[in-house]
Amino acid sequence: MLTTGPAKKVSVYVMEGEQYHGTPVYAAILELLFYRGISDATVTRGVAGFGADHKLHTTRLVDLADKMPIKVEFIESPEKVEAVLPKLADMVGTGFFEIHDTTIVTPQSLKHGHAPEPPAIKTEGKAKMMRILIGEHDKWNGKPLHEALVESLRANDIAGVTVYRGILGYGANRRMHKDSALSFSNDAPLLLSVVDTEEKLRGFFPVLDQMMKQGLVAMSDVEIIKYTHDSIKDERRREVRK
Amino acid sequence: MKLMGQAKMLRIHFGEDDKWNGRPLYEAIVEKCRELDIAGATVFRGIEGYGASTLIRRPHAFRFSAGDSPILVQVIDTEAKVQTLLPVLDQMVSEGLIAMSDVEVIKYTHQDGENLK
Repeated sequence: MLTTGPAKKVSVYVMEGEQYHGTPVYAAILELLFYRGISDATVTRGVAGFGADHKLHTTRLVDLADKMPIKVEFIESPEKVEAVLPKLADMVGTGFFEIHDTTIVTPQSLKHGHAPEPPAIKTEGKAKMMRILIGEHDKWNGKPLHEALVESLRANDIAGVTVYRGILGYGANRRMHKDSALSFSNDAPLLLSVVDTEEKLRGFFPVLDQMMKQGLVAMSDVEIIKYTHDSIKDERRREVRK
Repeated sequence: MKLMGQAKMLRIHFGEDDKWNGRPLYEAIVEKCRELDIAGATVFRGIEGYGASTLIRRPHAFRFSAGDSPILVQVIDTEAKVQTLLPVLDQMVSEGLIAMSDVEVIKYTHQDGENLK
């Protein structure tokens, strides 16, 4: 939460058509800031501009109108800004960002907020598997809880998560969850299987606590045998997007 | 209901067509778990697999919810409670696999947001 006194203002400049792992860069940045507990962020679309490539983009020319400059701006305490910078630097691609010193005069009031997580560490060897059991109908801020959890895990740099839909089950509230093909209101049980180091997963607990109203979370030991990323395939995907 | 800290997870693997007293085995197991007041049970349908019978279980492509898909029933509770379930499972599961592992329960809550301690 923002308090009166010194803070940092960060302005990120990116191009509209740029992508980060399949989503527009500005949307990915906004999601990162949101799930890292940054108090506020604003995205503004420019009407004309040019960047490192020195090509002029303007709404007046139809063929260039999909590449408008976009500015994402947010204000936070210096520590929180510090925590998101490494990830932000990775995401901006050909864009850039600047940091100004600023002073909060009147802080916003905020109902809830959560602490930022430490930056990513790649995992191998001893790790933990966290199983989260929830219902398909569970919601968080109006969106499906499992989707919000996956986004939140990703924004917090957790190594990986898979969502499985069960066909039958019950849990803490003794209510039977059943998947039935002909019902519009089926509330199937869902399992989110999350793998990362114990430290990273425990760091996520406060966020989880805030998002989950019901369900079960259990941890067990696992050993990571392989955690790789096909960079050639990724390159190819990037080419296709361009 | 008390469930926090060290607990056990049972995973029971068998086929969707397996029956117990004329009804699907997975339904019967979940019902039995409720009877025994086990903290929770969830059934998952796999898309392919093989197991004790060495038969490859693979659902038919052109039938609506048919074929002998692999089924996984996952149960989590204290060791004592899980032990009460084991003899029953021994009777019910004639062909399949039952595996137990250690888990640590971090959270177990229902709608009111209160921890069921």
